[in-house]
Amino acid sequence: MTSDTTLIIGGGPAGLEAARLIGDLGQKAILVEKRDALGGIPIAEHYAALTHGFRSAEEAMNELIAAARANPTVDIRLSTEVVECSGAAGDFRVKLAKAGNGAGETVNVGAIVVATGFQHFDPGRETQMYGYYEYDDVITLADAEKMLKENKFVTPSKDMPPERVCFIQCVGSRDRQIGNEYCSKVCCGISSKQAIEIRQQVPGAKVFIFYIDMRMYGYWENEIYWPAQEKYHVQYVKGIITEIIRKGDRLLVRGEDTTMGRPMEVPMDVVVLAVGMEPSKGTKDVAKILGVKQNKYNFIDVPHDALDPTATSAPGIFVAGAAAGPKDLDDTMSMAGAAAMKAAALVTKKARAMA
Amino acid sequence: MTATADFIPYNAVNTKSSRSFERQAEYAPEDFHDHLFELEAEGEWIVQRVPEPYVEVMTKFGRKKKIPLELTWHHKSCGQCGHIPGYSTAIFWLNRKLNFKYIDPTDQTSCTAWNYYASATSNAPAQAGVAMRNFAAAYETGYFPLIHCGTSYGHYKEVREEMMHHAEMRHQVRDVMKKLGKPLVMPEEIVHYSEWVHAVRDRIAALQTRDFSNLAVTVHPACHYYKLVQEDAIYDPDIYGGQRTATVSALIVALGAQVRDYSTWFDCCGFGFRHILVQRDFTRSFATRRKIQVMKQEANPDVVITHDTGCVTTLDKSQFVGAAHGLDVGVPVMSDAQFAALAMGAHPYRVCQLHWHSTEYRPLLEKMGIDHEKAWAEFQEDLKELKSGKKEYLTWEDVG
Repeated sequence: MTSDTTLIIGGGPAGLEAARLIGDLGQKAILVEKRDALGGIPIAEHYAALTHGFRSAEEAMNELIAAARANPTVDIRLSTEVVECSGAAGDFRVKLAKAGNGAGETVNVGAIVVATGFQHFDPGRETQMYGYYEYDDVITLADAEKMLKENKFVTPSKDMPPERVCFIQCVGSRDRQIGNEYCSKVCCGISSKQAIEIRQQVPGAKVFIFYIDMRMYGYWENEIYWPAQEKYHVQYVKGIITEIIRKGDRLLVRGEDTTMGRPMEVPMDVVVLAVGMEPSKGTKDVAKILGVKQNKYNFIDVPHDALDPTATSAPGIFVAGAAAGPKDLDDTMSMAGAAAMKAAALVTKKARAMA
Repeated sequence: MTATADFIPYNAVNTKSSRSFERQAEYAPEDFHDHLFELEAEGEWIVQRVPEPYVEVMTKFGRKKKIPLELTWHHKSCGQCGHIPGYSTAIFWLNRKLNFKYIDPTDQTSCTAWNYYASATSNAPAQAGVAMRNFAAAYETGYFPLIHCGTSYGHYKEVREEMMHHAEMRHQVRDVMKKLGKPLVMPEEIVHYSEWVHAVRDRIAALQTRDFSNLAVTVHPACHYYKLVQEDAIYDPDIYGGQRTATVSALIVALGAQVRDYSTWFDCCGFGFRHILVQRDFTRSFATRRKIQVMKQEANPDVVITHDTGCVTTLDKSQFVGAAHGLDVGVPVMSDAQFAALAMGAHPYRVCQLHWHSTEYRPLLEKMGIDHEKAWAEFQEDLKELKSGKKEYLTWEDVG
C-alpha cells in the first residue's frame, strides 16, 4: 500500500536533520536508531568541539536531537534495527525489531533514507606498526576527543599532561595494502583542530603533526591551518611514520622526514593516530537488507555522484552522510536536506498519483 | 655507556595495554590455499599435502597453518652448512631426540635467493624453476619440505605468489620441469624450521634438562621470515598480544628464559645481501650500532636468539669490528635450534658447534650450568680420533 511515511535509518546528524526537515514539511517520518541514544558518532564517541567553528559537539547534537523530537509527526524508535525489507518506491514493507531481538513489527513506508554512518578504522589491523594494541599512549582521534571533552588530556600510562604529542595522518586511508584507497577527508582538519585544543589545554606541550599532504580545503585553511601554526605553534612535519616502539618511559616514533630527506627518530609521550572512515557495521548490514549496491569499499554506492549525491541503486532509497563515503559535517547536513527533500517529494508525488 | 637494569620484559608489551585486539577475518587478504587447490583442480600442478601428524598454528590474520611434525625433507641452508654448521646439526638433533622421521637429502640445490636479493641474479622463471625443482625432489621422496633458512623461506613464499598469479611464468617453469623429468609440485604450506620448533616447543620443554630461568634473552625476528608475504607467519594472541610475530619468542618463554624488549626490535640485522658482499661495513655498523648496542643498553641480555642464517651470521660476526671501534658490544648470538638443543642437554661443541661462533659465548654456557672446559676437552679427544684416522667423521651416536 502506498505510504506517506519516510523511514530514516540512523539517528546521527544526517538522520536527525532529515527527520527534522520531513517533520517541518508536515510529513510523517519514522527514525530508527540501533543505539539506545541519538546523536550518532559525535555523541557515542564523546566528541569535544566540532571541526571548523569549534562549537561544542554535544551542544550541536542536542540541538539537532531537540529539533527532531519537537516534531509531532516524527516517530523516534531507539534500540531498534531494520531486519527485513521488501517492496518498491512508494510502497516498502520494512520489519523493525528491538536490537538483538528477532521479533518485531512491519511498517509500511514510501521512501527510505539511509543514514547509518561510518566507523573509525581499527589501527590493530594493519601493515603499519603503530602499536595501538601494545601501548596505551598510542591513541586515536576518538580517544583524544574524549580526553579533550573532559578537559583532561593526559599521557594515559602516566595520567599526567604530556610534554610531547604527535599526530600521524592518513592511518587506514590512502592505503593500497589495507584496501582503503580513498582519503577520509576530515582527518587533517580534525587533527589540526585537536592540536589547537591540546595547545590550549596543555600550554606546556609541544605538538607535532606528521603528514603526507595537509588537506585543508576551503575555510579550514585560514580558520584552522594558519592559526594552528601561527598562533598555537603546532609543528607540521612532512613524512611518513613507519614504526612506534617503547624506549625507556617514552614512545620512540620512527619515520622519514621528507623535507630533510633522511630518517628520523623522535621521542613522544602521546601519539594520536588520525584514523580514517570506513562503512559502519550498520551501513554494511542495511545495504544488504535493503538490496542497495555497495561500492568496492562497502560504502553505499552513489551512481550519479556530483549531480545527485543522495541517490542509491534503488529508486525510493536515498543516502545521507558518511554511509556513502567519507564526509564532513557540512556535506552530511547538505545531503540530509537533499535526501529529505527527495523522499518527501517522492511520497507526495505517489500520493497525488493515487488521488 | 653502561647497560641499564631498567629493561622491558616482553610480556609488558601485551599485558600493559588496556586494549585487546580481535582480528576480523573479513579484512584479511585472500587465502592462498584456495588458489592452490583451484590450480590443482585445473590440472596446473600437484599440491603436496602436509602429512599427518601435523599441528595447526595461527597466522597473522587468524588463518590456520599446518606444520608437519615428521616425514620432513630438510631443505638446508648454504650459510648454515658453510659458516654455522651447529645450526643445521642442532635442527637434526632436535628431530632425532623427538623421534621424528626425516630425510637429509643429498640432491638439494641452493635456493639462490641470496643472489636474488643481492640484485645479481637471472630472471623470474629461473628463480622459480630452482624452487620448483627442490619441491619436486622432496615430493618424489614422499617427504614434505622443511626450509632451514629464513631467506629461502621468504623467497619461496614470493615464488608461490608468482607461480599462483602468473600463468605465463607458471607454464614456462612447467616446461622446464618437463625437460628435467620432474613433476610441477607446490607444497600445501611453505614451512620454516622455526615454525616447526614453535609447534613442538612444549615437547622440547618437556625434555629440558638445563635450567634457563636465570637467562635474559633478546629476540631478533628475521625480516625474511615475517616481512615477506607477511600474512603467512605465525602470530599468537598470547605472545605480544598477536601484534608481533610469535616465532622464536614463544619458544624462549616455553623454555623458561626471560624475553626482554628493546627499541630496535623490528630493525633488520643489517645483513643486506648486497651489502654484506660489497659494502660490508654498512652491515657491520648496522648490526652493532642499531641492534647489539641497543640490546645491551636497554635489555642487557645474556644471549641474542634469532632464526635465520644471515641474522646469526651478521649479529655474531660483526661484533669484533664494533669492539675494535670501542662500541658497547659483546653479546653471544645463536639460533633458536641451538638454544633449544642446549636446553635439552646437547653438547655445546659436538652438536651446537659453538666454536664456529665469533662473539664470546662461554660466560653464557657457565650461566646455563655447562662445564664448557670439560666439553671442550671431550671435543678435542674426538678431533684426535679423527686426526689419527680411526674414524672419518663423528656420527650421531658419537654426539649423544
